[in-house]
Amino acid sequence: MTPAEKPPDGLREFADNLKAAPRHIYETAFRSGTPATDRTRSTFIFGNVFLHLHSVRVHRWTLRWSTTMGLGIMTTSAFLITLITGVMLMFYYKPFPEAAYDSMKDIHFVVPTGRFIRNIHRWAANVMVVAVILHMTRAFFTASYRKPREYNWLIGLGLLVVTLGLSFTGYLLPWDQLAYWAITIGANIAQSPREVTDAIGITQWFDPGGIQKLLLLGSDVVGPEALIRFYLLHVMLLPLALGALMGVHFWRIRKDGGLARPSDADARLGPPPAGTYPVFTEAPQRTYQLAAVVKGRTPAVNNGPENTVPSMPHLFYAELGVFMLTVLICLALALISDAPLKELANPSVPENPAKAPWYFLGLQELVSFSAFMGGIGVPAIVLLGLGLIPYLDREKEGTGQWFGGPGGWPLVRRSILLGLGSTLLVETLVIRFGWLREWFPHIPQLIITAINPATILTTIYALYSLWLIRRHHSTRAGAMGLFTCFLCGFLVLTIIGTYFRGPNWVFYWSPGDWPKH
Amino acid sequence: MSKNKYLLLLSSLGALALLIAAAVNEHFMKEWRRIQNVAVSDEGPVEVRLRQVINPGLKVTDRCVSCHVTMGAGEGSVRGAKVLAPHKAVSHDPAEYGCTVCHGGQGLATDKAESHGDVHFWPEPMLPSHYSYAGCGTCHAPLRVPQRESYQRAVSAFERLDCYACHRVEGRGGTIRPDGGGMEGPDLSKAGLAGYDREWYPKHVEKMQKEPLKAWKMSFSAVNDEDRQLLDVFLSTCVGASRLVEAKAMFNTAGCLGCHKVSGVGGDSGPDLSRAGYKDPGLADFSHVSGPATLANWQAEHLRSPLSIVLGSQMPSLGLSDRDIEQLVLYTLSLRRRDLPISYVPKDRMRALRFGEREFSTDGATVYGTFCAGCHGLAGSGLRSAGLASFPSIANPDLLERVSDEFLKNTIQHGRPGRRMPAWGDMASGLRPEEILSVIDYLRSLSGVKQKPDRTPPRWVKADSASGRALFASTCAGCHGAQGEGGEAPALNNQVLLASATDTYLIETIGRGRRGTVMQGFLDPSPARRTLAGAEIESVVAFIRTWEKKQP
Repeated sequence: MTPAEKPPDGLREFADNLKAAPRHIYETAFRSGTPATDRTRSTFIFGNVFLHLHSVRVHRWTLRWSTTMGLGIMTTSAFLITLITGVMLMFYYKPFPEAAYDSMKDIHFVVPTGRFIRNIHRWAANVMVVAVILHMTRAFFTASYRKPREYNWLIGLGLLVVTLGLSFTGYLLPWDQLAYWAITIGANIAQSPREVTDAIGITQWFDPGGIQKLLLLGSDVVGPEALIRFYLLHVMLLPLALGALMGVHFWRIRKDGGLARPSDADARLGPPPAGTYPVFTEAPQRTYQLAAVVKGRTPAVNNGPENTVPSMPHLFYAELGVFMLTVLICLALALISDAPLKELANPSVPENPAKAPWYFLGLQELVSFSAFMGGIGVPAIVLLGLGLIPYLDREKEGTGQWFGGPGGWPLVRRSILLGLGSTLLVETLVIRFGWLREWFPHIPQLIITAINPATILTTIYALYSLWLIRRHHSTRAGAMGLFTCFLCGFLVLTIIGTYFRGPNWVFYWSPGDWPKH
Repeated sequence: MSKNKYLLLLSSLGALALLIAAAVNEHFMKEWRRIQNVAVSDEGPVEVRLRQVINPGLKVTDRCVSCHVTMGAGEGSVRGAKVLAPHKAVSHDPAEYGCTVCHGGQGLATDKAESHGDVHFWPEPMLPSHYSYAGCGTCHAPLRVPQRESYQRAVSAFERLDCYACHRVEGRGGTIRPDGGGMEGPDLSKAGLAGYDREWYPKHVEKMQKEPLKAWKMSFSAVNDEDRQLLDVFLSTCVGASRLVEAKAMFNTAGCLGCHKVSGVGGDSGPDLSRAGYKDPGLADFSHVSGPATLANWQAEHLRSPLSIVLGSQMPSLGLSDRDIEQLVLYTLSLRRRDLPISYVPKDRMRALRFGEREFSTDGATVYGTFCAGCHGLAGSGLRSAGLASFPSIANPDLLERVSDEFLKNTIQHGRPGRRMPAWGDMASGLRPEEILSVIDYLRSLSGVKQKPDRTPPRWVKADSASGRALFASTCAGCHGAQGEGGEAPALNNQVLLASATDTYLIETIGRGRRGTVMQGFLDPSPARRTLAGAEIESVVAFIRTWEKKQP
């Protein structure tokens, strides 16, 4: 630009632009302006990369606390908290055996707020595991897995597995005795197919258990290789996998027409209470056309007048509320209770009892009878069963309602009694009288693999479930019975494994009764 | 929607409150802040901040001075809480050397339990105050420490000869003259470390003759050679830490180096103790230890009865008294030597490293006490310990009467392959020739016997080994094993034994036995077992000789 072309008030314009810069930055960041009308609210959402996974409007049924209890958002929130605190911890953590332990000591004692951040990380991880299990329970009991949400249920199962994987891989990182022996137990569970291959005598040709353990540890024992593997899985691969699956999970909620709700939801909700932001006050100002022929249902097809409210702000208040509640819970737990850090890992001094992380203690209880059934067999059956549920239960009745379907709450109540009763009975018998190995010391292991508390309980539950299907002429009834029983079994076994098992996995009423030597 | 708004509001307020609580806890509730808040120096209240002593050379970052403010640099005048008491006078200024170098603990931590290391799972807790002198071992190693009796004799010689009248050692003695002339003689607390005039005696005599003061007349008189030697022993071990030296004297009495190495000296059959003071109590097995789960207690209980603490331990139980154990624990805790930058390596360690000076005195009694007593007994009378093969009595007069010094030297030098006795002369971590000779002299002095002159050639027996075989099987195999491999009694098929034992030695030993042991003379009439005639003994010896591998 030559001086002749220069506008006379160039400096003034510059000053004006400078003054207006903050406003322009805001305007370019939020192009649709203040979300004050339905339209700007909508554009606010799909103009924002972080919000556009939400649908623009949300059904009022979805916002009832009893619909979801916020469990999905709680899981997500806990994940975000672990993500943020986890990145903070990575600044100090060194993934090599002895250095790892020393850096944990530094975080614990020296790094400002290091202990607090680590406590939050640890508690958020536990909250996440609990919330994801409860979330799945909610989705099951409200029959939300049904068409068209079958596949999202499968994604959810994937998320459950990855969540447990994340928690489990994080367990090793402190490199203390607790971590070392818990992971040793975990690795031995991975090796448990050997119980069967050994019994048949084909281990030297076909050894899936050994391969699994080797893949997990990168070595025969828990060592530096295992630590770097677990670290990589924990800070990179699994979070990426979880993030990707979460994206799909959320996206499909929108694509599947929001959360499941009863067919008569609108009638049951009645008209929106006074003061609620009016529904459809503004007519669409533009007509959209489908750019291609879309197969199947889109959110608006075949629906009557929607009983929806704008996601902004109704849904976001709910989500933020649950997020802050999760933060509150994690902060409170972190202030109350320190994350454990025992002495440096020592391969030559086994912990007794060596216990896996708490959510695997139910499995460890079963593993104490048959490593294969407890470690691989039953979990595989459970995952397979859970995955098949939406494809076997093709019914319509009760979708979106708590304990919906034939039988309802009374059936679940009976199933709770049966599930708790049968698990407690079998455990009592086994703890009181021992099992086949105690009675017939030379019995082949294969027989124990086939007949043990895990298989017996599974059989009881399965027979009960089949009986329910016949009685109620409904797969849903059978599924509810089965799910309830497994949940009760998980609960009982986890509690026994956590609180009542002492050295050598012997039953004790309290840790005070453990032998001193 | 309003429900959700309230949820958001209340949760956010709650989270905010908790974050504030955490921040307050982190920044205002700290003990060291409360201590510094009430502390005052000569210039008024002290500035409240995290204080630390950093010494990169010693790899020290000690925040102890956040509470113990007085011990920081230039903070000597700070007064206030009890924790602000000044450090007792020491030659290493804590403001330069830090605290954890000597005391252990967790220098980086900033609250009491954690920095003192009294928390679960911290591997290096502070040394208990009555073991404080173990801290010296981080850098120092007292040299030429004699075994216990010699040390006690030296200590009492210094006292008996009234040296304390003029000299002060570790705050004791050295009367101050009323006319303000200070002490008569120099403080000798660190004479061993800094060096002292070897010509002190003639100078003392000369001085006394030159200026016949009253104090000299009363306290100093002629000192005989033996006492002068004792005084030299005492002076060379004056390093300002008599409790540590005393403990080391006990260590040099109990024969620990027979099996354990410390700084590259000692046997191989036990764990290297060079850093035993750093052993992580979290890694020690406390399942059979009564009392607190501290390293000191583990060591004490282990010394009391090794086998009941460590399953299958090969360490003999020495029958130590509580005081012995206390001293050995103190010394073990002092084995915490660190790698130091060259500017921090103290003289004593340099002397040991570069000039090969020994940490033990090289007289026979001390060498025996340091290396041999653990297995052969404090008095050389052998040792029997549960679960272990019995250790031979080597101060036995019957043995020493029949063996030459050459035999003893051979045995010590080459050991007994296959048995616990290491080859002391052949190992780099073993003994020097003059030390071996001094042990032999000491053994002879223990029993008071010399070798009986023996003019027979080493090999003269020409008897029938076949009849010896039968006699051996019926008479000797019960204790020595069918193939002479040893059992209750020592192995006889050992090549080093067979090479160095003469025929006369074997015949004498079989015929006359060893007093004080199970082995009794087979020539002696006995109603309890068969006796052997001279010719029979010769055939047994001929049979024993068949195990000897002929030199090619």
